[in-house]
Amino acid sequence: MTRIEEYALLGDTRSAALVSPYGSIDWWCLPRFDGEPVCGRLLGKEDAGQLVIGPVLPMDVIERDYLPGAPVLRTTWRSPTGQLTLTEGMVSSVIGRLMPSTLMVRRIEAVGGPARVQVRFAPRQEWRGDRLRLQYAEGRVIARLGGLAVAMLSDPPIRLENQESLKIDVRPSEPLTLAVTAAWREPLVYVSPQRAWQELCEDADRWRAWSQDVPADVPFRSAVQRTLLVLRLLTYSPSGAPIGAVTTSLPEEIGGVRNWDYRLTWPRDAGIGVAAFLGLGKTAEARMFFHWLLHASRLDRPRLPALFTLAGRRVPHEQLLDDWPGYQESRPVRTGNAARNQHQLDGYGWLVDAMSIYAERQGPIRGEAWRAVSRFVDYVAKRWPDPDAGIWEERHSPAQHTHSKLMAWLALDRALRLAETHRTRQTKIGRWRDARDAIATEVRSRGFNSDLGSYTRTYGSNDVDGSLLVLPLLGLEPPDSPRVTGTIDAVCQQLSAGGPFLYRYPPGTDGLPGGEGAFLPCSFWLVQALARTGQAERALSVMQGLLDLAPLGLFSEEIDPTTGRLLGNFPQALTHASMLQAVLALRDAGIHE
Amino acid sequence: MDWAGWAVFGVAATAALTALLIVAQMAGLTRLDIPLLLGTFLTEDPDRARVYGFFLHLGFGQLFALGYALGFAILGTATWWLGAIFGLLHVGLALTALIPLLPGVHPRMSSERAGLESRTVLEPPGLLVLNYGRETPLVATVAHIIYGVVLGLLINPS
Repeated sequence: MTRIEEYALLGDTRSAALVSPYGSIDWWCLPRFDGEPVCGRLLGKEDAGQLVIGPVLPMDVIERDYLPGAPVLRTTWRSPTGQLTLTEGMVSSVIGRLMPSTLMVRRIEAVGGPARVQVRFAPRQEWRGDRLRLQYAEGRVIARLGGLAVAMLSDPPIRLENQESLKIDVRPSEPLTLAVTAAWREPLVYVSPQRAWQELCEDADRWRAWSQDVPADVPFRSAVQRTLLVLRLLTYSPSGAPIGAVTTSLPEEIGGVRNWDYRLTWPRDAGIGVAAFLGLGKTAEARMFFHWLLHASRLDRPRLPALFTLAGRRVPHEQLLDDWPGYQESRPVRTGNAARNQHQLDGYGWLVDAMSIYAERQGPIRGEAWRAVSRFVDYVAKRWPDPDAGIWEERHSPAQHTHSKLMAWLALDRALRLAETHRTRQTKIGRWRDARDAIATEVRSRGFNSDLGSYTRTYGSNDVDGSLLVLPLLGLEPPDSPRVTGTIDAVCQQLSAGGPFLYRYPPGTDGLPGGEGAFLPCSFWLVQALARTGQAERALSVMQGLLDLAPLGLFSEEIDPTTGRLLGNFPQALTHASMLQAVLALRDAGIHE
Repeated sequence: MDWAGWAVFGVAATAALTALLIVAQMAGLTRLDIPLLLGTFLTEDPDRARVYGFFLHLGFGQLFALGYALGFAILGTATWWLGAIFGLLHVGLALTALIPLLPGVHPRMSSERAGLESRTVLEPPGLLVLNYGRETPLVATVAHIIYGVVLGLLINPS
């Protein structure tokens, strides 16, 4: 079974696929990120679908990386006669031309001598209740699944006759190119593999142009470029909504039950990502997100739902898919998300903070946007005393989470800053100021444990929480305050999972059976906290340790600290956004690798 | 044909339709905002767009009312139920063609095919305008039936 960290991401900002080191597409949902998997081998049985092009016999991978600045993957194996190289990607820019909405291009070539290659086209046998129908022709195979059609064209033409692997020899200077196109409720558009290859090369140029303007003073610049690409690949271009991750139900413990659907949009995670985009000068992406959020949240304002679908609709009820065995027997496999109705206070803080950064850089936000922010902040000023589900979306009773209160404080504080340049009634400003000051007073007394010398997970608790590492960024306390350094120390002490890893909260306290791995965003928040509190050397060392985990620059949500295996949905937007925030904190502190 | 009735009641019917859509928006039933969709053809500023869009919508409403008035004149009768049937045909056309086709011509509306370089920001409506909320087809249908009923009751068929 392929490890999570061995998968690579291919995407076009509308859908995304995960490809194994052996050239097998094991996860690909269509027609968009949150569709049903056409390739579901990652979580399913033999018939769950996969598309393969790769070596027949096991060969060593001698190199596997993305082309610089582009989401085009190159995998090179050592063949008995030389090398075999697979270059693959998806074409993002198709608008305004007669091009398929979904186009994946895969080219395999032998160097030094011929190599035996297998090609397999075996989409999922059933998709949204429709049985798979296949039509084979010379150089072309078409799969029909109700309103969805997937075609694979080959050059030179090969003839597949069933869903078994076809084995052929690829000779030097005679690459085999496959163009996989998909159409949902529209006719298929056939693209010759040669033209598809050309399109992929041109698309790679566009990606390179997009990613090359990362400021020169940013530390870990190439890793930052890669992470920006990942975050952009996770942003659904038709709406501007970033998804939590490409997958559902990759487990937070192998064989465990913490398997959730992340193919949805969390305004909190998006707010963190948008702030990172802004920090790196990517204002267009931030603008896209804000427009989407304003539109998506209209039905629920002043409440900000914890999560949305990609189209801004209400998230479907959580369902358990009993006939899916899950990744390495990690059941259940879930779709939808039960956090849809939770009250989560922290999301407002991240969002208003991102808005204030946007306003600082781009000038005042427009009338409707300000009215929306203002209503969110009014809601926070009213609801902040209520218990909530917290950032970890715990499913037991709501509690008085200190982190949630801190983020409510952040929402009010940043809104007050915005009010200095945006027309706001004095009574409203007074209300916000009173609420902000009341939160500060309450959190300092009830959210702080003098014995620990640290803020705590919930009021009156002896536990700390990884999310408290954002404390030095907020401005509630000076970064060098003993309360801040004490909290960082307590988190590192209580939640350490060894090395640069931290649990998000004390293991075994979330009411679910089994355990989970260390939470990677917490480690990046630690880098931020260390950078902000003047601990440059330690910040750099933690950062370097984290970057070494992901040779392809792809992070999931968690890691098993003993085996080093990545856990949880993959690749995960929150982790990547936190990584960028950590880099920005290093830059702002003048720390370079 | 009842030109005076068309001129006056076309505006009244469009105003009723717009009012109902605004109420539905306020009630959290739909995010369909026709003045915004139309006005953003002309400007990116949502507040200005709504003003321009409101008047554009009145103009389009008047044009559609002309079709209704012609229909009543041809059939020689105008009743509330005939107006409601026209309203159903009208909303059917709007939900399946007029609004879903907007991404092809709207300069600020994204498309389901948008990619890396797309800078358009207005969410595409999708089939039956369902992207703007599950109740959108229902709200739009009720609003257009009311539009038709108003015209059926108030326009003189002769």
